[in-house]
Amino acid sequence: MMLGIVVGIASLAVLSSIGEATKRETMQRFKNMIGTFDTIMIRPGGGRSRGMPTLVNVPPTLRFEDAKALATELPEIKSVAEMQSAFDIDIKYRDKSASPGVFGVSSNWLALRSDEVADGSFFTEEQNTSLSRVAVIGTDVRSALFSDEDPIGNTIRIADVPFQVIGLLKSRGAGPAGGSLDNVVLIPVNTASRRLFNRDYLTMLIAQLKNPDESNQATSKVTALLRERHHIQPAALDDFAITNPAATMARVAQASSTLSKILTGVAIMALLIGGIVIMSLMSIAVSERRKEIGMRRSVGAARADIVTQFLLEAALVAGTGGIIGVAIGWGGMELAARTQKLPPILVWQPFASAIVLSLTIGMAFGIYPAWKASRIDPIQALRS
Amino acid sequence: MIEVDSISKTYARSNNSAITALKTVTLSIGTGEFVAVRGASGSGKSTLLNILGCLDRPTSGHYRLNGEDVAHYSDKQLSRIRNAKIGFIFQSFNLLPRTTALENVEIPMVYRDGHVDHNRAVLALERVGLKARAEHFATELSGGEQQRVAVARALINDPAFILADEPTGNLDQNAGREVMQLLEDLHQEGRTILLVTHDDGIAAYARREIMLRDGAVVSDWKLPIQAFEPAVGDHL
Repeated sequence: MMLGIVVGIASLAVLSSIGEATKRETMQRFKNMIGTFDTIMIRPGGGRSRGMPTLVNVPPTLRFEDAKALATELPEIKSVAEMQSAFDIDIKYRDKSASPGVFGVSSNWLALRSDEVADGSFFTEEQNTSLSRVAVIGTDVRSALFSDEDPIGNTIRIADVPFQVIGLLKSRGAGPAGGSLDNVVLIPVNTASRRLFNRDYLTMLIAQLKNPDESNQATSKVTALLRERHHIQPAALDDFAITNPAATMARVAQASSTLSKILTGVAIMALLIGGIVIMSLMSIAVSERRKEIGMRRSVGAARADIVTQFLLEAALVAGTGGIIGVAIGWGGMELAARTQKLPPILVWQPFASAIVLSLTIGMAFGIYPAWKASRIDPIQALRS
Repeated sequence: MIEVDSISKTYARSNNSAITALKTVTLSIGTGEFVAVRGASGSGKSTLLNILGCLDRPTSGHYRLNGEDVAHYSDKQLSRIRNAKIGFIFQSFNLLPRTTALENVEIPMVYRDGHVDHNRAVLALERVGLKARAEHFATELSGGEQQRVAVARALINDPAFILADEPTGNLDQNAGREVMQLLEDLHQEGRTILLVTHDDGIAAYARREIMLRDGAVVSDWKLPIQAFEPAVGDHL
């Protein structure tokens, strides 16, 4: 009798909980990767480049001079961080080795990425200009190379060049694709350029905006300036690509809320069907219990008492169904979290609202049968 | 004291016509009378019963119950009168099946003020000789026992007016005799009894007989007081 409600509520609770959890997780991972939302990212090469940047596959179109021009010529931009990176470099400490992403970054990196140093310190602009061989490592690199030892002050070899570890980054967690964002080594970008990678073009520029609400205008200004600097003819394509994280994030949020709306819609359909089932079953119950209704009326039940009785019964049936549904749903979520290795985010609000909703549906679809019950002619019912 | 002054009942039908179930009935039943109402089906008997039992309102006319004109009372007010002043006994007992005899007797108290007095319910069962069966489910009782539980339920709020609709219709002779004896006792206590029946033998318990036909009273005769004492059970 309650199966419709059970299935409806279980699916509603699970689907909206999954939808909500997915949305939150996606947003969190984007936040982990991007750090702050007042930046835009500029990469070399038009369109998409495939794979992770290595020493050879980065188009040489984005230069240190572009970074300086963006910082000085555009009033919309507060500051610019330069970055060179490679993902195919071996790092060694004594007998241990790792191959994290090696990032040459400018000294304003922490602020633009909202990274934090957990231990030690970050390098300074002086260390950058003097081409110091210093490194700040992520938590994954620390555990790969140092196990229990304190990494600060020790010397690691990056592509056989010795660097002193001066700091440890705070963990950032997982990125949008699920990979770790902590498997990194940060070194001064000038050091990377002259002593390690031996190239004077950049893998990425991060520009911090003065007004994050005007990221679209800033994006077109940056595009115009870079096209001018790169002497690109009006008909030709850009030789760089700009990512606007705030806009991307908005699209992601939109997509995941559309998804959860669709899922919710499906579940509400199931609930409506459950409600109609309740209505017909209550109608059957009312006609089977005409004598009881007649008896209750004769001993002093007003019509309102009969309506209340059947409404409460409908709510009880639906509410019980709702609670069973929520229990099944909760169990299903736990199971999904374990087998799918989803993070165990417990979004409980959908479960609470599912129980309230099932009570409401029971009452709403119980109104007509309850009203019918109150209209039964008692003497007719008692004589039949 | 029941006074019905030219009441009528008309039911509207969907095609704009109307059915007159009761046309201008006037009668008066004194406190402590034992009245039988008779008539074929369709005679307006059940409509009259509905109105006298405060389960329905007349389309026109006045109905004074102990001086109160209840003809135009609201559903809630009528419910309160049914609960406090009228006890119903039906042909088919109408006990709740998965419920004990005691709990069945307590139902009217729920609708009175929600306060359930177990001792009173036990006393009511004792009065109909079923104290020992209090904890039995209704379905475990014989027909006669079920009807006696129904009498206890009708008495629980101490009503002055008992409305019995074919109370022996589903009972064998012995059980029917016991129930009629209970009604006779209630009459002796001074309660007004209105008995609806087809059965001449049962109707003979009454001191007055009202005959209905086509929604109107066609005869209403009273036995002279004490002129006729039915030999209990002779007619069953």
